[in-house]
Amino acid sequence: MSSETHDHDAGRVGGPEHDGLEHAGHEIDNYLSGKPFFSRAGGKIFIIWLPMTAVGVLISLFLPHHIFPALLSNQGTDVFETMVFFSILAAPVAAIVYAVGIYSLVAWRPKKHNMSEPPPDGAPQRGDGPLTTIWLVASTALVLVLLVWGITVWSAQQVTHSNTLVVKVIGQQWAWDFQYPGTSVVSHDLMLPVNRPVEFQITSEDITHGFWPVNLGVQVDANPNEVTIIRATPDRMGKFTVRCSQLCGLYHAFMYSPGDVVSSQQFANFLVAQGAKPAAAARLAETQPTISGLSATVAGS
Amino acid sequence: MSTATEIHYLEDTNLGPKAGGLYRRQNIFTGLAVGIISGFIGWLVSHALLQSSNWGTDMVVTVTMASWVIGFNAGMGTFNAPFRWLRGKDQTHEDELYAAGVSQGGWRYWKYCTDHKVVGTQYLVFVMALFGVGGALAMMIRTQLITPHSTFLDPETYNAIVTIHGMTMIIATIIMVSGPFANFIMPIMIGAKDMAFPRLNAMSFWVIFSAVPPLMATFFLGGVDAGWTTYAPLSVQAPAAMDAFAICIITFVVSVTVAGINTVVTIMTMRAKGMTMGRLPIFVWASMVGGALGLYAMPAFLLDMSMMITDRATGTSFFVNQVGGNGWLWENVFWIMGHPEVYVILIPGVGAILEICSTFARKPVFAYKVAIAGFVGIASLSIMVWAHHMFTTGWAPLLAGPFMVTTELISIPTGIIFLVIVGTLWKGSIWTRLPMYFAYLFLWNFIIGGVTGIYLSDVPADQYFHGDMFVTAHFHYTLLGGAMIGATAGVCYWFNKMTGRMLDEKIGKVAFWFIAIGIQVTYFGQFWEGFQGMPRRVAYYDPIFLHANQMSTAGAYVLMLGWLIFLYAMIHSWRNGEIAPPNPWHARTLEWLIPTPVPLENFLVDPVVTEDPYGYGDTPPPGQLAPFAEPEPEREPELVPVGADASASDGGSH
Ligand SMILES: [Cu+2]
Repeated sequence: MSSETHDHDAGRVGGPEHDGLEHAGHEIDNYLSGKPFFSRAGGKIFIIWLPMTAVGVLISLFLPHHIFPALLSNQGTDVFETMVFFSILAAPVAAIVYAVGIYSLVAWRPKKHNMSEPPPDGAPQRGDGPLTTIWLVASTALVLVLLVWGITVWSAQQVTHSNTLVVKVIGQQWAWDFQYPGTSVVSHDLMLPVNRPVEFQITSEDITHGFWPVNLGVQVDANPNEVTIIRATPDRMGKFTVRCSQLCGLYHAFMYSPGDVVSSQQFANFLVAQGAKPAAAARLAETQPTISGLSATVAGS
Repeated sequence: MSTATEIHYLEDTNLGPKAGGLYRRQNIFTGLAVGIISGFIGWLVSHALLQSSNWGTDMVVTVTMASWVIGFNAGMGTFNAPFRWLRGKDQTHEDELYAAGVSQGGWRYWKYCTDHKVVGTQYLVFVMALFGVGGALAMMIRTQLITPHSTFLDPETYNAIVTIHGMTMIIATIIMVSGPFANFIMPIMIGAKDMAFPRLNAMSFWVIFSAVPPLMATFFLGGVDAGWTTYAPLSVQAPAAMDAFAICIITFVVSVTVAGINTVVTIMTMRAKGMTMGRLPIFVWASMVGGALGLYAMPAFLLDMSMMITDRATGTSFFVNQVGGNGWLWENVFWIMGHPEVYVILIPGVGAILEICSTFARKPVFAYKVAIAGFVGIASLSIMVWAHHMFTTGWAPLLAGPFMVTTELISIPTGIIFLVIVGTLWKGSIWTRLPMYFAYLFLWNFIIGGVTGIYLSDVPADQYFHGDMFVTAHFHYTLLGGAMIGATAGVCYWFNKMTGRMLDEKIGKVAFWFIAIGIQVTYFGQFWEGFQGMPRRVAYYDPIFLHANQMSTAGAYVLMLGWLIFLYAMIHSWRNGEIAPPNPWHARTLEWLIPTPVPLENFLVDPVVTEDPYGYGDTPPPGQLAPFAEPEPEREPELVPVGADASASDGGSH
């Protein structure tokens, strides 16, 4: 690492007489010095940085598939895609910090030096150079990308659909009840027809609970004397669990209900079996193919 | 002035037999005795008068706990000086010397002592005790979660433990840097003889000390089953333990407020000649920003808890939806405190890390002014982000967007911290002593804590992760992996100055590896639980989360072992460690230029500062401050400037 020691010495040049501005110029000189890129510290750090970033991106692309449960709604897909996208953006940033950290331990730790005495001083860089500005501009740009992504996804989720199925959710210590307006059905299971937008109207009979149909990728608290609303469109059939995400006393852990996204026909059958009039059940299970991008090949109704 | 024999140490002053007045008779035992008697009287009176009323039990617990706090502090001596002053007498100089611990030896650590170094040491031991309690509770939680349906704890006890683990750790982390280091080290760093308000300083410690028994009493009053966030209306219905909890918080807020005022005023007014704001060590800036932010945040907590008490004891129903109140009010006021509070915890820890990076990279703090701007930026933005804790409560959905914006903007000043650390390491001369190990661990953890925070700041993603173990893992990465590792680095760095002995680095490095690996395993397990959809604060769980929980629990045991080894290193070194030289790190901030152990009032000759303490590679290292060191013939014995002597530093200073 003799070249590095050289850089050190270069950094020392000028010493006390240099003021901040000259340091800045000095840093740029250093940067532009004739040495080939990959033998300078920056180049070597780049060599560490590149594979770390690549690994980070690969993890971002493939790990979420394996650790998320099956996400059954378009909101769930949003969560998934946000995690992947943000992770890919974060990978190069985290990798820069880690690469410099690792490189500093490898290259900038003086060899064969007596650990009870400090090594010679490092370069007196005070950070008056352009790096701070570059860092600030880059991090601001990244934040703006995150914000545009987040607000776009969030706004898209706020669109209401004309054929929305309303489900009333009532939390109480320690169980969930689901009502389907238009019928007399009150169920402990949350049954939903696939490809039909759902609006959950949530309230509580006692204290605050957290209504969290996990695999639908949405949640909102159930507050007494308030009705809170969330929307989701289940787009895959499958079983899921409704959990309580807000500590609600003694048996909080046992406050969960089974959920199931089923076909319209199965949904109508479920309502009838729960005591709904067949006509009302058919009306609720009716699906109109008004949502773009969704396959509307739904049996029944 | 120039020879050691002429030095008069204040602690050697012979005090008259009456110096100190009532302080002479007061110590922790009189505090405990008066506190217990006062609490008992409070119980007797309130029980006799109020028990039969509708809210009797809550009134009785509130009055009893408040009486304990007031009684303890009266017995300790907190109110002595104000009362003397009210009676038209003031403390004499001898009284003040007595209060500062003169002629009491080790006994002064058990008394109302105004010496900032005694207070700092008291805080250090107290924080370690709190971490011991909070850590033991954490281990009980993780032990319960080894299997999905463990019978180790019943759900009632489990919920109580979850709550008190959280609150104990919050109290401990808020004071873990601002207590020991902002008290012991910071005044020396700015060249002050003590804090601006020494009596308030002693008060801040003994008040926070008196806050903890009510917190532990909650276990015997039915337990607080609502989590440390104690969301209403569940907390309004909670057992009488909740009243003790509220008194604990109110007392705690008084202490943190008093300490915050003291820190800010000290830095504003007590700096040595030449110690301009632009020459302050970065840790001092961090302490000031953290202290000032606490002044903003903490009153909201007092307000919230006061309304909680009146809701419970007098039926005001601020937070009870069914009778005209609203739980969202609790949540708003709580997080108006709660979000700035995490930065009250974090910023001083970051300050310690930056100080350590500079010393052990042998380089100036990179972009010093930008770092300060980063602290101020974080603090300013942090008061505008609280509702990101409420994205999924259903409150004001239209505000989700604006709060997402403010929250994500915090990434910019937070990113500055990484820039400053990376820039300080850049082409440094890395001296890998124990404090630097923890500085690297901070860097590693804080990236993970920061990135996972970005997911949670995004409203759609938060709709999945809110209230689940992902959040738990995220804030443990920032508060334990970030802030607490920063404080641990601070312990490794300043232990020798505070105790006079070197911290054993061999044992410390063994502890380091257990801690470093333990954190990753524990909280990656919890991230995994979070991805899978496991809610927080559950005593039992779906078996699909089994492997993630086992991973987390295994990591927690490794982590516990690490902290126990670290504790052993501290105790062992404190008793038998190698005697510390005044400046083992060859650092340049003022605390290293005075002797160890530090004499009362720190500086016998007022230091004069001519440049900032980061002249590594630029200016010759400063000598020890006269008159303690051997005077060097070519230097003025009385006023040795910090940094270097005036002629050499002419060009280098700004
Ligand atoms: Cu619940």
